[in-house]
Amino acid sequence: MKLDGLDESLVAAAQAGSAQAFSRLVDRHQQAVRAFLRRACGDWAEADDLAQETFLAAWPRIGRLQAGGSVRAWLCGIAYRKHLTARRSAARSRARDTAWEQERPPAPAGQIDDRLTLETVMGDLPPDQRACVALCLAADFSHAEAAEALDLPLGTVKSHVTRGRARLLSALGVEDDA
Amino acid sequence: MTPDDRLKALFAQDEPPARDPVFSAAVGERLVRRRWLQDMALLAGLSVLGAITLWAMWPVLQPALTAVSDRLAPAAWALALAFSAVAILGGFGERAASPES
Repeated sequence: MKLDGLDESLVAAAQAGSAQAFSRLVDRHQQAVRAFLRRACGDWAEADDLAQETFLAAWPRIGRLQAGGSVRAWLCGIAYRKHLTARRSAARSRARDTAWEQERPPAPAGQIDDRLTLETVMGDLPPDQRACVALCLAADFSHAEAAEALDLPLGTVKSHVTRGRARLLSALGVEDDA
Repeated sequence: MTPDDRLKALFAQDEPPARDPVFSAAVGERLVRRRWLQDMALLAGLSVLGAITLWAMWPVLQPALTAVSDRLAPAAWALALAFSAVAILGGFGERAASPES
């Protein structure tokens, strides 16, 4: 799990105080962090808000990112803790502007039901399991990388992914050939 | 299509764009705003600390400043006159050198 060359140099520059380098890290990793949060919390507007909070929290802590660590996993770890904190906060207002979400191109007709089923089943999964599924099945994280990001034991991540995958496939009516 | 491919295709519909300048700009703006607020809080804290220190030390400072100011008053007047003269004469000199005048 080595930093790729560009990430490594950007992290080094950001650790030396370069806001421009950090801004490029935001550009490079916003997609992964936002996608993870969308799948973990289900509310796109809230996910994007949490993604911004994640990067705001990451900037003063960039010095703690150790050489050899994955920037993507580190950011998703911060994002996951932000998400858990937000979930615990009962007083948090859920009123968000989701108008932009309506502007997305519609999914192909045959996939709409599957999409709703996926969202429903994901919403029913426990938070840990949901986060493991979001990272390993949707975002191509290795089990080890997900364990590092979520601060969970490797075996727990593997069992969460296996169970989550089985529930999703069963709900979608897909034969599991694995 | 394998079951995993199908799951991945469904999940891919959640994928934000690879490049999103609006999101990056929003993060940058919030970072700048946060840094500005921290700077303002630091300056406000230092100002309050300075004011409290001055207030606490005023009984000691006041006699010393009065004594020093009595002694330095002539020099301060001379300096003020010199600066005024330089400023006025310098201003005249610049105007004289200007082609419009």
